[in-house]
Amino acid sequence: MHPIISALKHHKTAVILMVLEIALTCAIVSNAIFIIGDRLAAMHVQTGVADNELVWARSSGLDQGASAASATSRAQADLAALRTMPGVTSAVMVNSLPLSNMNSWGACVQHRPGHTKDQVCNVIFYAGTQGTVKTLGIKLVQGRDFLPQEYVNYFPFDNMQAPPAVMVTRSLANRLWPGKDPLGQPLFLGDKAGDVTHVVGVVGHLVNPSINKYNGVERNLLLPVTAAAVRGGMYALRTAPGARDATLRDLPKVLDGVDSRRIITERHSYAQTVKDYFHDDRALIWLLLLVIGCLLALSALGVVGLSSFWVQQRTHQIGIRRAIGATRRDIMLYFQTENFLIVSGGIALGSLCAVVLNLFLMKHYELPRLPLSYLPIGALVLWALGQLAVLGPALRAAAVPPVVATRSV
Amino acid sequence: MFRYNLELALRGLRGFPKSTVLVVLTVALGLSACMTTLALLHVLSADPLPGRSEHLYLAWVDTVLAKPFNYQSLNGVTQANYRRIKLADAQALLAAHRAVRQAVVADMAADEISADGKHAQRSQLILATSADFVPMFGVALRYGRNWTAAEDAAHAPVVLIDTELAQKLFGTVNAVGRRVRLRNTLFQVVGVIAPYAPQPHFYGLDSGVFSSDGGENLYLPYTAALDAGLSPRRADGCDASYKTASRLGLSDPTHCASLGFWVQLDTPQQVAAYRSYLTHYVEQQKALSGFGKPATSQLFSVAQWLKLQHVVPDSVRLNVGLAGAFLLLCMLNVAGLLAARFLHRSGETGIRRALGAPRRAVFQQYLLEAAAVSMLGGVLALPLTLLGLWILRRQGSDFSGLARLDPLMFGGLFAMALLVGVLVGLLPAWRASAVEPALQVKSA
Repeated sequence: MHPIISALKHHKTAVILMVLEIALTCAIVSNAIFIIGDRLAAMHVQTGVADNELVWARSSGLDQGASAASATSRAQADLAALRTMPGVTSAVMVNSLPLSNMNSWGACVQHRPGHTKDQVCNVIFYAGTQGTVKTLGIKLVQGRDFLPQEYVNYFPFDNMQAPPAVMVTRSLANRLWPGKDPLGQPLFLGDKAGDVTHVVGVVGHLVNPSINKYNGVERNLLLPVTAAAVRGGMYALRTAPGARDATLRDLPKVLDGVDSRRIITERHSYAQTVKDYFHDDRALIWLLLLVIGCLLALSALGVVGLSSFWVQQRTHQIGIRRAIGATRRDIMLYFQTENFLIVSGGIALGSLCAVVLNLFLMKHYELPRLPLSYLPIGALVLWALGQLAVLGPALRAAAVPPVVATRSV
Repeated sequence: MFRYNLELALRGLRGFPKSTVLVVLTVALGLSACMTTLALLHVLSADPLPGRSEHLYLAWVDTVLAKPFNYQSLNGVTQANYRRIKLADAQALLAAHRAVRQAVVADMAADEISADGKHAQRSQLILATSADFVPMFGVALRYGRNWTAAEDAAHAPVVLIDTELAQKLFGTVNAVGRRVRLRNTLFQVVGVIAPYAPQPHFYGLDSGVFSSDGGENLYLPYTAALDAGLSPRRADGCDASYKTASRLGLSDPTHCASLGFWVQLDTPQQVAAYRSYLTHYVEQQKALSGFGKPATSQLFSVAQWLKLQHVVPDSVRLNVGLAGAFLLLCMLNVAGLLAARFLHRSGETGIRRALGAPRRAVFQQYLLEAAAVSMLGGVLALPLTLLGLWILRRQGSDFSGLARLDPLMFGGLFAMALLVGVLVGLLPAWRASAVEPALQVKSA
């Protein structure tokens, strides 16, 4: 080992450059791998609804200034027409859908009216018409579905009588009543005694319209309402597995058949909506993969370039070593060990830089802390890369015949 | 001497074609990644109105009759505060006329329908403002005239529209004298302007910071807009006494802070005078004392305002950092390759030195070689940067469509290429010029 180190001392410039290069690559690659893992985990969220069988649409231009009664009857006419479409098993109106990023209603809920001390805020309200649970495919883990008489005209931001029943997600239930049975618990949707409602069901999973640090992932409840209360909402259709695309295509015709003055502003398959929600994350992952690829390729090229140069420069010494008894294996091992030492130096420095870089990113870009287990991953990748890159030059070195020692000088 | 060294440098380039191609490619990749991200950052942090914005200030007085809202109580949510004011204050500040020019600004949304009802543009962004907006913000009038302060005061139903909207609604660019319906009121078109969309949309950040497809297309007196039942989209806060049936849509400017107020101040003296005027104004608001609020007034320059509102997205800066690190790595790589290549010619260097070339000349030769390689990389980086920007424009976020390479950044690319070349060459050139001539000549 010792002769290798003393040989390296003669190439300080090149060694320093290579160590710095490996260190920088190590720092960026381990952070990039970590960010990719973090994003991938975020993208694997279960929405809690039947992703592949839902279609939704929004229309506008009809409900301006309409009374509650006429809005309800118009929505019912639309829904009746939608239900007659082939392949559609049910249709409802909801204010929003998980990961749809639109029309999200949020408010505080209270254990006792007017007591703001133990209230829970930024709770998302889903409001849906009769049949919402079945249509969306929401799975209850406790309690029952809403009864027909529980659907009322309730808009959370008007002073209206709250519906008698509500469903909460298990995550919200644990937050509101830790360790207690949520069924039958009273909940106040505003700060007056009249805002009371009772929990009749607990939903296993239902993701918010958007995932953010204020509203969390699943902090939501589901309200039974009539169509007039679903302001700015959408029609959600459950289709038979093969009928989704046909339903999506024919939907405007059916709605225009009921009333052609409307404008259908949006219609999508729900699977597409979920895909769109993670568009930015996917773009970031591809960008980081590209960066990782470029960095590794560059480092490998750098190693190949410098090692080749060294082999060329030491041809004569290699010849002498071979002449006095070193085997080809010894020569190869020499260059491989040398590379291992340099890369190890780079990794040691790079791991330090990776932690510093992560601290910087945490401070400025709200990233979680880099688990130290990511550092060995980066190290392994770089060691493997270094050995691969040095293989060619090392083989060339091993091929130097001992007779070179007798030439020149 | 310089010419001779340049010649040697270029000869050196040709001597190692494989390594030259590798180095040029590496430099080009690093430079283009860096320039692509820098060009976007440059566009996004550019002055929205060059030559004008340094005289524009956002004036704010806090006269909302409510306790200061404790944002922290909502699970740590901090809501954006766009520093808007209530109608009464806007009118008082307009009437006082203490600045060179002043304008009320509020974005609204409305359906625009031609008077004959045949053409309509749904849910468009429109700007309710006052007469000074056009001269103050440098809006270019194509046909007709701007409305006057008297028309503001008279609540006159007049509008300015841009040429694109004129074309869509009336089929002609010169739509002066035509009428357009907003809600149930008919407005007379008195002037047609060139499409106006400064980036960022600094006077209405609430309605989107950057937009590749333009901003408002219709401008009207705020008085007439309010009369027509239009209202600002959102507010920064409302009087505590103001309760409506609905808890949503609290943006009535009579009770809610929902109007932006911009002033033009040309000299530092005017700025100081206006600042003290605002302080004085808000101190006079006796009603505020009941809410435990200190009298607050602020005056922001455009640059301060954009900084305060974090207009440039974090991700853009992050990408610049990422690309910068990438360029650094490329530079280390190239430095290593160059060092190898220069040292490989130690024999040649030794002979030059032994024949009397000073160390400086050898240093210059190698530095020139490094700079030449880097400039070649710069030339190759140009098409790569354009490709990168093209990819960026197709990303579809609200600001990426603005990514362009302007002449300044074009020059910046080559300045950077040269800088990179010199930096990259310094260490290897120094190392190569430090070889002992005697030793080299002997061994060679």
